[in-house]
Amino acid sequence: MTTHSACDLCDLNKAADLKKLGNLSGKYDYAIALAGNPNTGKSTIFNALTGLKQHTGNWPGKTVTRAEGSFLYGDQTYRLVDLPGTYSLMSTSEDEEVARDYILFGEPDVTVVVVDAGRLERHLSLVVQIQEITTKVVVCLNLMDEAKRHGVEIDVRGLSRDLGVPVIPTSARNKEGITELLQAIDQVATGKFVAQQKNITGISGASRKAVQDIATDLLALDAQLPSVSWIAMRLIQQDSSIQAALASDTLSTTITETQVGPILAKARKYNETLGLDYSDNVAGAIFEQVSTIVKGRVQVDDNQRAFRVDRLIDRVVTSKLLGFPLMLLMLGGILWLTIIGSNYPSEALSYLLLEQLYPFLKEGAVSLNFPWWLSGFLIDGVYLATAWVIAVMLPPMAIFFPLFTLLEDFGYLPRVAFNLDRIFKGAGAHGKQALTMSMGFGCNAAGVVATRIINSPREKLIAIITNNFSLCNGRWPTQILMATIFIGALVPKYMAPTVSTLAVVGIVVLGIAFTFFTSWMLSKTMLKGESSFFTLELPPYRPPRVWQTVYTSLIDRTLIVLWRAVVFAAPAGAIIWLVCNIDVADKSIALWMIEGLNPFAVLIGLNGVILLAYIVAIPANEIVIPTILMLTAMVLGDATLGEGAGVMFEVSDGEIATILQMAGWTTLTGVNLMLFSLLHNPCSTTIYTIYKETHSVKWTTVASILPIIFGLMVCFTVTQLWHIFS
Amino acid sequence: MNLSDLKLGSKGIIKGIAKDCSKEVHQRFLDLGFVAGAVISVHSISPLKDPVAYSIYNTIISLRKEDARMVLLEAENE
Repeated sequence: MTTHSACDLCDLNKAADLKKLGNLSGKYDYAIALAGNPNTGKSTIFNALTGLKQHTGNWPGKTVTRAEGSFLYGDQTYRLVDLPGTYSLMSTSEDEEVARDYILFGEPDVTVVVVDAGRLERHLSLVVQIQEITTKVVVCLNLMDEAKRHGVEIDVRGLSRDLGVPVIPTSARNKEGITELLQAIDQVATGKFVAQQKNITGISGASRKAVQDIATDLLALDAQLPSVSWIAMRLIQQDSSIQAALASDTLSTTITETQVGPILAKARKYNETLGLDYSDNVAGAIFEQVSTIVKGRVQVDDNQRAFRVDRLIDRVVTSKLLGFPLMLLMLGGILWLTIIGSNYPSEALSYLLLEQLYPFLKEGAVSLNFPWWLSGFLIDGVYLATAWVIAVMLPPMAIFFPLFTLLEDFGYLPRVAFNLDRIFKGAGAHGKQALTMSMGFGCNAAGVVATRIINSPREKLIAIITNNFSLCNGRWPTQILMATIFIGALVPKYMAPTVSTLAVVGIVVLGIAFTFFTSWMLSKTMLKGESSFFTLELPPYRPPRVWQTVYTSLIDRTLIVLWRAVVFAAPAGAIIWLVCNIDVADKSIALWMIEGLNPFAVLIGLNGVILLAYIVAIPANEIVIPTILMLTAMVLGDATLGEGAGVMFEVSDGEIATILQMAGWTTLTGVNLMLFSLLHNPCSTTIYTIYKETHSVKWTTVASILPIIFGLMVCFTVTQLWHIFS
Repeated sequence: MNLSDLKLGSKGIIKGIAKDCSKEVHQRFLDLGFVAGAVISVHSISPLKDPVAYSIYNTIISLRKEDARMVLLEAENE
């Protein structure tokens, strides 16, 4: 044994026996499943036990696939499986099948059902269903702090007696009750506590007889068959995966396929005669049973302040008068803070990485006698592009994501989906797309990941394909620069800031219009279908946990996205440098390409430089402007401009304007660049993310090509109209 | 009477799910506690009138109008 400090020996700190093992896989003694309704703090419990940092949020449906982690308690190793949040085990959605299959076929040693202490009437119905499958259940009564605030008082011992399994009150957000939970898990896993088989009571006449009849038949074939009445119930409900599992060896090795046939026929007959009444009967009985338990063990004071506050907030943030203005104010405010606030850290980073470290590296290369091409390739190419992406990308993300996550944690975001659902429904899409769209203003890759909250595959695809129409952080600087140089300059000086701001807002609004138009178009063509059943649970408001939010959103969203961008930016930097420095005949590849692209580019009111920049800067929209500048300086061939072929450089807005005007840019070029910046292919990070989310080359291609087709069409039309009217 | 007729401030008691509702949606309603006898009330109405958020079993569930029509209520009693 290791020696213990005073704290370790203290009774108040039994959690000292807990050793979080993260996602370390390998041998384990016990498998523990974590089940529960969506948004009950399952992920928070998972994180508290394993030390992992699963993203949590006040938002149903965060965990869609199974997350796994391990911990050591006492001298046993436990493998913890976080199942997707489910309301029941009766439906046939993908989430519920994942959860159900694991509990039934994975035969975990303990199933911990996490329930919301303040909403037991519904949450306990899942416990009752799981108890039909297994007796090894521990109920984790989470969100106790919130329940107390809402005036809910629970007789925990009584509840435990009624349910026949350990019931442990916790508030995982505050790390309370985790030790007790561990002890209960340990007792059930090791068999120190054995619960009795509980069955759903109160199923009426014909339905109950049907279950008994099928169950008797099943037991006659295999007396050892586990969860028999639950299997009987599912067979009557025509659950095809249970039928298949029974016919194969998954559930029972003694029952053969031929034996199953007559039972299935019988079950089908019951289903025909009882029909949906059967499902009504079962669900009614479950809720009836739960209501009786809750009535006896829970006291609620409906007039509690917190309860009224929630309702009051909802009446305001979803009101006809204030609903939309408040929403625009909050989301607009976040964007404004991001754009203004990121200037300073961006400047500091670019000073450090571009003005200090870059010359230092160059000198270092000289003193090490690097040949010019090696230092050019590595430092001007790879290093510079990577450093640039970090300097311009990190600060806005580090501001946007935590702020956005705070709104999420507070519980406001589902209200945005609620407010906007009517409009998305009109476009054949899902209200939750409002959220993924908003997230896209920060980063499209993050927006695409966020579409996981949309359960219907059709609507999820629509949200993924249209996310690119949200103007992401990487594109704001291009918009602002172009608006300042080319549109602000058209009006008297005192009006310039307002007019150029309005121009950028106009582009954002155009992007939103394209989101709706494309959603509508897709739902009429490639993704035909009616809007699916829409249910959205509005969670209670919760005081946001500022520091945890900042920390996890930095790790979860900012750093992951940044890392992906860097992985793509480094090779892009190399390519940018190479095309500028490898000559074919008398010209560099870049010049050849620019000349080749130019005739076409002029047709759509752009130029060869812009198109080449969009091709080589595909990893990150952030490096489009520096690439354009570098290429323009190279084309102009003026030695006083820029830093040389393939080397990105930074100058003031005024100097940029001069360089661009020297290269023949007009207001039309500026306007078209703004349009093209909105309507072009997603960056490679986003494309990769789309592929990872859809696992489909087809949809990844559609999502990548569609915006560019729109962009070419819009720029072409604008250019032709411009020529007609000027 | 069905759920979409329920007014803000009044309570309804669920009678059942309409027969023309699809099987999947029917089950989904049951999962959420839309079972006979459950008490339901309007929590808030979105700015464009649809969807509407309902309070049932101490949870808030929002439904689109066409889905709310599938939930049948006992005749008004309050």
